[in-house]
Amino acid sequence: MTPDLRTAVGDLRLANPVLTASGTFGYGLDLEDLCPPERLGGIVTKGLSPLSRRGNQPPRIAETAAGMLNAIGLQNIGVEAFCSDVLPELRRRSVTVVVNVFGESPAAYREVIARCERAAGVAAYELNVSCPNVSAGGIEFGHRPAALASLTAACRAETGKPLWVKLSPNAPDLVGTAQAAVDGGADALSLINTLRALAIDAVARRPVLQRGYGGLSGPAIKPVALRMLWEVHRALPSVPLVGIGGIETGQDVAEFLLAGASAVQVGTAVFRDPAAPLRILGELERFCAAQGVAAVGELIGGLQWL
Amino acid sequence: MIARRDLAARVASVEDLTRTCFRLELTCREPVVAVPGQFGMLRCGAELDPLLRRAFSFAGVRQVGEGWVVEMHIKEVGKGTTLLRRLAPGARTSLLAPLGNGFTLAGLSGGRLALVAGGIGLPPVLFAAEVLAAEGRPFDLFFGAARASELYEIDRLAAATAAVGGELGLCTDDGSRGEAGVVTGALERRLAGGREIGRVLACGPDPMLRALGRLATARGLDAELSLEEPMACGVGVCLGCVVELEDGSLVPSCKEGPVFPVRRLGERWRS
Ligand SMILES: Cc1cc2nc3c(=O)[nH]c(=O)nc-3n(C[C@H](O)[C@H](O)[C@H](O)COP(=O)(O)OP(=O)(O)OC[C@H]3O[C@@H](n4cnc5c(N)ncnc54)[C@H](O)[C@@H]3O)c2cc1C
Ligand SMILES: Cc1cc2nc3c(=O)[nH]c(=O)nc-3n(C[C@H](O)[C@H](O)[C@H](O)COP(=O)(O)O)c2cc1C
Ligand code: FES
Repeated sequence: MTPDLRTAVGDLRLANPVLTASGTFGYGLDLEDLCPPERLGGIVTKGLSPLSRRGNQPPRIAETAAGMLNAIGLQNIGVEAFCSDVLPELRRRSVTVVVNVFGESPAAYREVIARCERAAGVAAYELNVSCPNVSAGGIEFGHRPAALASLTAACRAETGKPLWVKLSPNAPDLVGTAQAAVDGGADALSLINTLRALAIDAVARRPVLQRGYGGLSGPAIKPVALRMLWEVHRALPSVPLVGIGGIETGQDVAEFLLAGASAVQVGTAVFRDPAAPLRILGELERFCAAQGVAAVGELIGGLQWL
Repeated sequence: MIARRDLAARVASVEDLTRTCFRLELTCREPVVAVPGQFGMLRCGAELDPLLRRAFSFAGVRQVGEGWVVEMHIKEVGKGTTLLRRLAPGARTSLLAPLGNGFTLAGLSGGRLALVAGGIGLPPVLFAAEVLAAEGRPFDLFFGAARASELYEIDRLAAATAAVGGELGLCTDDGSRGEAGVVTGALERRLAGGREIGRVLACGPDPMLRALGRLATARGLDAELSLEEPMACGVGVCLGCVVELEDGSLVPSCKEGPVFPVRRLGERWRS
């Protein structure tokens, strides 16, 4: 018997629970030859802003044990280029597209959503209020519950489609920000973004990254992501969650589902293995079959706490 | 363009070239086609540390029996390259390749083609030299290293240049072999001696490439540099490997490079 991999994040139905994480899979078609996006639960685009962004000066990346730091600075092609050049092709292939939205002000977030609303093919929006690598926008919303609630409400007014808010693991009050996003009208929460981190070049006595701090991702952050997911799930059990952070295997996905996620996103694993999302999906299917799990839905929130 | 693939590969051999550099040969069952300047992202081990693959240029590729042999020259500098040096013949790994663009070998309108390599920058230059020699296109080649013991593959370089009547110029910083001083100095002396150079293709350490960038800019030479930016994905999605261009934009060198014409590059490479 093949396990039923279908899932749903709130009202959004997905063929399976494995999506790609923002900033690690381009705009959905960049790696189509190595990992066909139509076979995944969906793709989340690189963070899109109203206009294209140049990003930070290099060096932008540094490797660490079982992880990496990045400070890309949200370099992207801008929402217009995405909607006119990429989205029609994604739509033609029936890819489930989640647009990751970034702006330096609430008006900029609204502008990105408004432009996408005029196009066809977007399944949901994910507000990036948690990028540690830019000086304006993002985190100033993600760390302050009141600001986050009003930003979410402003975006809510632009669309009837599912609205996800991507939480920062660096926020002083995780559950408070999660609650604020829901109060503002979010349909689901995704977590986690990268953890603020520092890599040092001891010989040069300088940070490795040109920006100083960067965001840590990869297997090293998985236990932190699982803890945060479970905390939010326990505090807000009816809110659909999307789990992110260091997922490398199908069994990792099962752990995120047990901690309360309805779907997951695979990020840094793509850099090691461009076909990782598909491989992980196959592994999840085999894990379920071996464990007698008939449908992945059975796993969601199924962690037996002490 | 040749389709990139994540190739299943087996280690055919690991052989020392110098005290710090080794030759790694990999066998693949699937066809491997690459042009000089292109690279691959090689998995260094099965564990999560090191997490990322490492970028290495092709030093050559040839068909042997049913399979294809990929040749790489690697300098042991850290965690990943140390693991690679210890691989036993038969070990399995994967190589995402071919990636990036290559050197412009064709379409020289006048003057001679000069290939320039510094240290472990030799692999794509050797690959270019052997392709040019096989096609019967003339070129000169300049290879520099810190000392005589770090110059390697001299026989192959001599054979390739001789095949087309070109010059092989060797340089060492300490003068222990060939001309004393940096390899860009050798090129400057040829230019001063009146040699017409139509194009320069180069790979090597940053200071060498920047010196070449300055020389090419000052003299109006057509030159292409193969750059080494730290890479995570190698396929254009992480945007970690950007290089600043002359117009101020930052582009991923794994996709738009690693080979760039000097005139396209930003100030850092030209002044
Ligand atoms: C397009 C390209 C082609 C290359 N071709 C060759 C080649 O033919 N032969 C060869 O010996 N080396 C080559 N390099 C450099 C090679 O990738 C690095 O030396 C190697 O990644 C070092 O890994 P490590 O784990 O031993 O070193 P560590 O210092 O432990 O690596 C730590 C991190 O820094 C990165 N890094 C370190 N040094 C470099 C570097 N010089 N360039 C890019 N990333 C670096 C690593 O990938 C890793 O993520 C090339 C690099 C690029 C970008
Ligand atoms: C290079 C890189 C770029 C990223 N860009 C974005 C982005 O544009 N927007 C965003 O919301 N998250 C971005 N992220 C965060 C990831 O989407 C993800 O939340 C994080 O990396 C943790 O997952 P992982 O460990 O599987 O990579 C980026 C991460 C990396 C490594
Ligand atoms: S290495 Fe990821 S974009 Fe170039």
